[in-house]
Amino acid sequence: MSVPLSIALVFRGRALATIGACWLLVVGIAAIGAPLLAPFDPLEIDPFVRLSEPGWPHLFGTDHFGRDSLSRAIYGARMAILIGSGSVLIALVAGGLVGMLSAYFVRLGHLLMRIVDVLMAFPALLLALVLMTLLERSVLNTVIVIGIVYATTTARIVFGMTLKLKRDVFVDAAICSGAGHVSVLFRHILPNLMSPMLVQASFIFAFAQLQAAALDFLGLGLPPEVPSWGNMLSEERIYVTRAPWLLIFPGSLIILSVFSMNLVGDALRDNIDPRFKDDIAGV
Amino acid sequence: MALLDIRDLDLRIARGRELLPVVQGVSLAVEENETLGIVGESGCGKSLTALAIMGLLEGSVVRIAGGSVHFRGRDLLALSPDERRRVMGDQMAMIFQEPMTSLNPVYRVGDQIREAILQHRRMSRKQARDRALDLLELVRIPDPLRRIDSFPHQMSGGQRQRVMIAMALACDPKLLIADEPTTALDVTVQKEVLELMRSLQARNGMSIVLISHDLGVVSEICDKVAVMYRGKIVEQASTSTLFSNMSHPYTLGLLGSIPSTDHDVEWLDAIPGRVPTLDEAVPGCAFHPRCFAANESCRSADPSASAVSPAHIVRCHFPQGSSS
Repeated sequence: MSVPLSIALVFRGRALATIGACWLLVVGIAAIGAPLLAPFDPLEIDPFVRLSEPGWPHLFGTDHFGRDSLSRAIYGARMAILIGSGSVLIALVAGGLVGMLSAYFVRLGHLLMRIVDVLMAFPALLLALVLMTLLERSVLNTVIVIGIVYATTTARIVFGMTLKLKRDVFVDAAICSGAGHVSVLFRHILPNLMSPMLVQASFIFAFAQLQAAALDFLGLGLPPEVPSWGNMLSEERIYVTRAPWLLIFPGSLIILSVFSMNLVGDALRDNIDPRFKDDIAGV
Repeated sequence: MALLDIRDLDLRIARGRELLPVVQGVSLAVEENETLGIVGESGCGKSLTALAIMGLLEGSVVRIAGGSVHFRGRDLLALSPDERRRVMGDQMAMIFQEPMTSLNPVYRVGDQIREAILQHRRMSRKQARDRALDLLELVRIPDPLRRIDSFPHQMSGGQRQRVMIAMALACDPKLLIADEPTTALDVTVQKEVLELMRSLQARNGMSIVLISHDLGVVSEICDKVAVMYRGKIVEQASTSTLFSNMSHPYTLGLLGSIPSTDHDVEWLDAIPGRVPTLDEAVPGCAFHPRCFAANESCRSADPSASAVSPAHIVRCHFPQGSSS
């Protein structure tokens, strides 16, 4: 089955998820084409147009430094995608490895999963806060911290699924055909984890946005000069009565993106099993 | 020397601090080109014996407490994991009971067979695919050129079992262990699969260990039969000897439990009682609570294995048949 066809199937009959996917496409394009699309330099300060209302030439208005909000929002999409995909990558690789190895090697699992349990005992935001206070504020550190926070839940999920998979007869069959531990884990078990992990990725991507925005808002996430939706909220919150649009625009962007990602995640989750697809697509 | 030689295999299952015996003193030998059937009801230890041979008990609650498993003169239980991996799939292979779950759902069947080949043979992916195609043809999958790219869930149970067999045969093993290969299949498909196994055995010259609870299946393709009850071999003989001269009351009971198609019967002669659970200690012969011939000595002393005739071993104080 071709890739475009399978993508079409995921969104078939799901108007909301399709709209969500389109919105994410818009965010993606904004992120890639930010230097071309942004009408102003997001860091350029213009004291003469401080806190101007939305209109021409500043469509989203300007903040208290006179920086163009739209340009900052467009560059903010870059951060959103970067934080999202970075966290997903770390969470899936670290969490996936920990979960798989823990389930497969029982003794190692006793140790690793207890560490995971301890980390999971903290509320996600609290854990991220604790880790961020230990580290310098930077894009990379934010990604790492959010990645670690969601690696714990990923590890739990993968652990459970691997426990079940390793008891499946096809694993025994693989061992019988001479497969070693590495081959069993990565050639036979891992491919079975891919689709649930893809779904997990979509939700981590969404939650990472919220987590990053929360960290930015609390002044512990990205460095303040970096244009991100969370930083925009954080910096302009005191102007909420004078210039509410400075909060409405970035806030809506966060809500829309997270909501879209969740919708796409739901659509993916309902389609993960290849067994259901054949009925529609034929073989 | 026998191809496979199992001596006094002892398996124990760990429960808490206890180690409960599940297989005791099992000795079996399989010659080249020979088919050995292991028969017994659920929980008698026949599958565990097979798993022990293939080294699949590692990491489970079952421990190998004693005995040896020699394959072509080498003690499999003493091999390092690496050495064992080189034997598995190459010289010995196994097929399983559930054709529904014994294939990896995310791989096309051709890729799975190819994996099994490339595990042991150095060849290009193209060559391996051609070999997979040959194997599918060999196990009589209709339209193999199309089926090679199917996913397991697109095939029927019988076809999947054929794919499993093709996978097991990927490297022309000398020994094939089949754990209830036909139990999950329709009767007609059962027959086809058994015939397939028999013809492949003749073609490839391999030995088969067939594990089954079905005396009928065993009588059809096995040269030798071992009957197991509660972890011990209670009777072992060539198929013809066994069926003409059953000596252990349990074997007789198994045969009596087969419904006859020749004439109508109101009642099947089921064996009374049930298999004692693992932690129930049964003094004397483990079968005595269910045995029609049991008396005092059966309750106090566990019979040892003795030969009622050459190559016909029975573990019973009062073997039935011609001798009694």
